[in-house]
Amino acid sequence: MKITCSERERIFLDGTPDEWAALEAHAGHCLACREELAAWRNLSEAASELHQEWEAPALWPRIERALREQSRAARASWWERLLGRPNLPSLAWQTAAAALVLVLFSAAAIWVILHRNPVVPSTALLTDRAVGIVEERQAAYEEAIDKLDAQARPQLDQAATPLMASYREKLQVLDSAIADLKSQAGMNPANGHLRRQLLAMYQEKQLTLEEVLEAKRQ
Amino acid sequence: MGTMGLALPWEARISLERVQRGPVEPRETTREVSSVRAPLSRDDLAIAAACQSGDLRAFEELYRLHGARMKSMARNLLGTTSDAEDAVQETFLKIQRSIATFRGQSSFLTWSFRILINTCYDARRSRMRKREVPQDEPDRESAPRPEPRAPLAHPSLKLALERAVEQLTPQQREVFLMYEVEGLRHSEIAGVLEISETASKNTLFQAKKNLRQMLEAPRSSAAEAR
Repeated sequence: MKITCSERERIFLDGTPDEWAALEAHAGHCLACREELAAWRNLSEAASELHQEWEAPALWPRIERALREQSRAARASWWERLLGRPNLPSLAWQTAAAALVLVLFSAAAIWVILHRNPVVPSTALLTDRAVGIVEERQAAYEEAIDKLDAQARPQLDQAATPLMASYREKLQVLDSAIADLKSQAGMNPANGHLRRQLLAMYQEKQLTLEEVLEAKRQ
Repeated sequence: MGTMGLALPWEARISLERVQRGPVEPRETTREVSSVRAPLSRDDLAIAAACQSGDLRAFEELYRLHGARMKSMARNLLGTTSDAEDAVQETFLKIQRSIATFRGQSSFLTWSFRILINTCYDARRSRMRKREVPQDEPDRESAPRPEPRAPLAHPSLKLALERAVEQLTPQQREVFLMYEVEGLRHSEIAGVLEISETASKNTLFQAKKNLRQMLEAPRSSAAEAR
């Protein structure tokens, strides 16, 4: 490979090994290229002297300690971010507090849902509050029917017609059934089925008494 | 990391193997031929992955493999060994802080070197602001004497070269130091500085031309004086 002086800088920049070998051969008989080549190489050799190595036994332990501290601080700052830091923007701690309240509220709600009595799909059992309401209404209903019974009672007691005798027997059966149901409801106040049966008996007694009074008017 | 023993073999596999100072110019080609790239890349990725998992042993491995080169680079950019050691420590802290952002688009080593160089320039700027040490008068005296490697090396030439390197543009200085002093390849320098390989070669060529001019000037003056 033949090289000319004009190619020297291109080879310095990006020459292949073959081109470098050809430049060296050329420099054997070209003083200018020989000097340039020597200067170029001397610069690289001098540069290699700038690489410095020294023992620093304390450096890695120092770096390791700093890395551990930084790692620990990063973990701690997670909580700081959550709870807010004085140097954060002004609303940061309020946001963190709101987030904390939300988390606590959610946790409480989940706890309540998980620990409350299982919901029964049937209406067979009434809650305490429902039992109270039912008993209150039932008492008012009984009172009203007792008043109705008081109005009809003379008619029932005095009349000797078979119709009235029939009404009297029916009312005795109803009273007996009502007494039984009330007794069972007293032992099991949350039983919705008993309450409904009792209501049905009262309604039947109400209708019977109304028929008795209607018969009296006729 | 449970697989650290497998992932990080304890044999030194330095990807940026320091170059034997033989034939000077065709070094790039020699390095490309002699280096075994694939296993080195695996180590690089393994170290990066272990660092991402927070394993301090991976940071230690990075230091063991490249700490000396990082210290030397920082020493040449900052002028003193103490500043260089501080910069290397800060570099490791920055690597730990930002390791989650490393996506493997460049090699872990070039990514780390980029952080190192930025850290060194931050330190230089900070020092200039504080005016602790004049920039053109680095504290060379505090540096331990390196073992002489070239018997013909002259201390005054080294000092002159150090001062001349300081006069280069930042990019010329970085390319010159990484290629000629620390033995990085142009492909690696391109990764560190986020430039093309051609740009790295051109920058090196220009840096050496400038250095030659700077180093020859006193000789010319002396000749004129005679």
